[in-house]
Amino acid sequence: MPEIELINVTKTFNEGKVLAVDNISLKIEDGDYVFLLGPTGCGKTTTLRMIAGLEMPTKGKVLINGKNVEAIPPEDRDMGFIFQHFEIFNHLTVWENVTFGLEMRGFEDDYIIQQAEKALKTVGILEYADEYPSVFANPGLQKLAIARAIATGANTLIMDEPLGSLDPKVSKVFRHELRNLVKDLGLTAVHVTHNQEQAMAIADKIIIMRNGKILQMGTPYALYENPNSIFVANFLGETNFLQGFVLRLLDHDLMEIWIRLGGPKIICKNPGLKFNLDNNIVIAFRYEDVYLFPMDYDFKNSLYDWSEMEFFTVTLESSRFIGETKRFYLRLENGDKFTSVKPGTFEENFFSGNQILVGVHQNDIHVFKAPSDLLYELSLS
Amino acid sequence: MLRKSKVDQEAKTNLSFALKFDRFFSKPVYRKSLDTITIIFFLLVIIGPIINIFSTIFFNVPSIYHDVFADELIGDLQWINILKSLGVSFSVATIAVIFDIIIAFPVSIILTRYHFRGKNILDALVDLPMAVPTSALGFSVLLFWGIFGINPGMPLIILGHIIFTFPYIVRNMKIVLEKSDTLYEDAARTLGASGITVFRTITLPLMKEGVIAGSILAFTRSLGETGATIIISGLVETAPIMIVGFRRQLQLPAASLLAGILIAISILLLFSIKFFARGGHFPIKGVLPNFERLLSNKYLRYIRDGLTVIILGVVILIPSLFIISQITEGNLVEELFLGRDYKWAYLYTSFISSVEIGVLAVCINLIFGIPFAFIITKRKWGKFITFLDTILDIPIAIPSAALGFAIFLFWGPAGIGLFQPGFLMILFVHVTFSFPYMVRPIIGVLESSNEGVEEAARTLGASNLTVFRRITLPNIKQGIIAGCIMVFTRSLGETGATIVVMGSIRTIPVLIVDWVEANAYPSAIFASTIVIIFSAFLIFTLRAVTKKRGV
Repeated sequence: MPEIELINVTKTFNEGKVLAVDNISLKIEDGDYVFLLGPTGCGKTTTLRMIAGLEMPTKGKVLINGKNVEAIPPEDRDMGFIFQHFEIFNHLTVWENVTFGLEMRGFEDDYIIQQAEKALKTVGILEYADEYPSVFANPGLQKLAIARAIATGANTLIMDEPLGSLDPKVSKVFRHELRNLVKDLGLTAVHVTHNQEQAMAIADKIIIMRNGKILQMGTPYALYENPNSIFVANFLGETNFLQGFVLRLLDHDLMEIWIRLGGPKIICKNPGLKFNLDNNIVIAFRYEDVYLFPMDYDFKNSLYDWSEMEFFTVTLESSRFIGETKRFYLRLENGDKFTSVKPGTFEENFFSGNQILVGVHQNDIHVFKAPSDLLYELSLS
Repeated sequence: MLRKSKVDQEAKTNLSFALKFDRFFSKPVYRKSLDTITIIFFLLVIIGPIINIFSTIFFNVPSIYHDVFADELIGDLQWINILKSLGVSFSVATIAVIFDIIIAFPVSIILTRYHFRGKNILDALVDLPMAVPTSALGFSVLLFWGIFGINPGMPLIILGHIIFTFPYIVRNMKIVLEKSDTLYEDAARTLGASGITVFRTITLPLMKEGVIAGSILAFTRSLGETGATIIISGLVETAPIMIVGFRRQLQLPAASLLAGILIAISILLLFSIKFFARGGHFPIKGVLPNFERLLSNKYLRYIRDGLTVIILGVVILIPSLFIISQITEGNLVEELFLGRDYKWAYLYTSFISSVEIGVLAVCINLIFGIPFAFIITKRKWGKFITFLDTILDIPIAIPSAALGFAIFLFWGPAGIGLFQPGFLMILFVHVTFSFPYMVRPIIGVLESSNEGVEEAARTLGASNLTVFRRITLPNIKQGIIAGCIMVFTRSLGETGATIVVMGSIRTIPVLIVDWVEANAYPSAIFASTIVIIFSAFLIFTLRAVTKKRGV
């Protein structure tokens, strides 16, 4: 059973001038569908290539099933690799592409035919078997790349942006097919992408990388609900950030913070009592966690419990219809801006320039220590 | 389903012999041995003789000084002659290259940016002089301009050199023009630039690399040409002709000095251009929109294109093919077949020797050229690769007569003493000067080929050698074929180096020189026509092969 483990792995290029992967450790359990997620150039593809044996770590160890694979060349690692640009053999037919790996393993002809047919049927391109790959556009090539990788019977599937070349719509449909395929075959899958939505949609586990380091790993839900850094909070989903400082420490792990330049005062959780008086902090809350109310909303007769909600007044700058939701661009009295995407009940009556009451649940507010350069933390590269 | 664990018991695996062989020889130790052998071959066979000539000069300073500078009878006359010949060679090369560049600009643009019927044929005709043995070309030039009363001498040498250096410049300009997108030019036009302004500010900077690369090749080819020059030079002596002369008179010290000087100058030229010229700019920066708009006038363009085609025809195409029309002149049958000196037998044996040498040179260069191209493109040895890559072009840059003489000194009785002048030494010379022609096209396709496909094959379980055999080779096939044809045509056409090391064997180009010198014109015309047709066939094959990829 494949179980992939990286221990303190570092990879540098150009004689140490370029640091691609910086001392990372991770473990991928058998049968998991794991995503390596991060902006372009974060070292995720290099990590993938080290697992497949196409690159050698500069430092550290790669273990497969507890065994150091340093001396094992890629051809003996028994992994199916789906390349970002497919890397289909254009001088071979579709059928020859798929049988290539089986032939390399020296299987008998009957078995090769059986496996290749199965693989081509699985992705639905069996009728193109005798054509050359040039008949395909990107989706077809993608399917062929998948068929070629799974035909050999490898039990680990390694994918580098396997949906990157598809249209957004096609990619959305195809990603579920891909997950079903991996789960049906019982494969361990490692999938690299820079597309957060894709990872959230089909991952068992997500590993977020930036500048060659792992920032956080966990299930999509855990990462979304409890980001451990401003970058992760910003990278997964759409998030508002406001700067302020701790005004007062309260009982029950609570604290009062004051948004800078005379903004509103807000009470939120003080996780692990990490923060002290006068600490500079950044609070983060998701676009969809910002509730909007008319100024004269009657909370007493509401069906809901608003007790842990924090309220403050804002001005509506503008709003925009974007399909299933509407986006509201809001301004605090100190000039700070943020956004809400709630499809609510009252929003029809809001117009630009209106004063609006905004509510955010205390649990939805994440507090981080103020970084020296917030703009850098918020850049997605 | 597809998982192997379940089917392991039922599916037997049995690696074929080829796969087992690949797997065994894919071990790093074999790759390293092949790398080592290839580099030793390169340094010893290709570069060794060239370095050797400098040490020979160094160790023989007294005899060189005595022969060249202080002869009892003629004093330093030889030195003066050497300087004179160098002067002739450089002025011929400079004038020919400048003329080529001027004509090559409009020709390369016509051949890449215009669309007209017969473009392909014109394109092939422009390439043809590159493949035809220069002695046949030179003879054709001699006959053509003879009609107009231009006798052997400086003007005829220049006219001849223009012809066989021209394809090198056009070809390199064309490659750059074909690669560069017309979108840039279109964009400049939408911004309001007239045709000439677009050419000068957008197209010309793109062509810079091509012009420089082409000029180096053309210049060094002109500097080193022997075959045609012998026929058309009359009493004027260029440097390579002088080497051939020294070698014939067995004045080895003088020959080695001149060969050394020529080689040193060529290498210096090669390096200085490689390192400095790339950063250079075409000096004209200012924009003269109105003047250039005037020049871009439709009628002026017609005149320019018309003039170009006329000059191309009169100076280059017609003289180089003129000889074919002369085949019916004179009493060919009587001279070639009925003469007492059995000319037809000489023609037959020298043709066979030429082909044998060409084929063997191709084979040897194939064996060492492919691994060498791999070393240059795939190994990550930093500066050493840059070094190898730079010195790879030396055999192209240096005059072949000088190279031939260097090899004669290195392998012959004066040096290692392995061969006497003759078949094997000719073969060695041809292997040496044609090696870069084999390696460059392969490097070209390797650099443009996609490494990802090879990685994909490896993740599918193919060992290094299997990847090479099944994936890389089919992808670089055209580069290899192009290299083979280039090597063969160059070997077929080489005169200068062959004369220096040939002993009693003759190759076709040398035979043509001999016959022209012996005034056996009809036979020489016949032999030239045969090689021109043969080369034309080769060049058309080459074009068909490389059409798919810009090699």
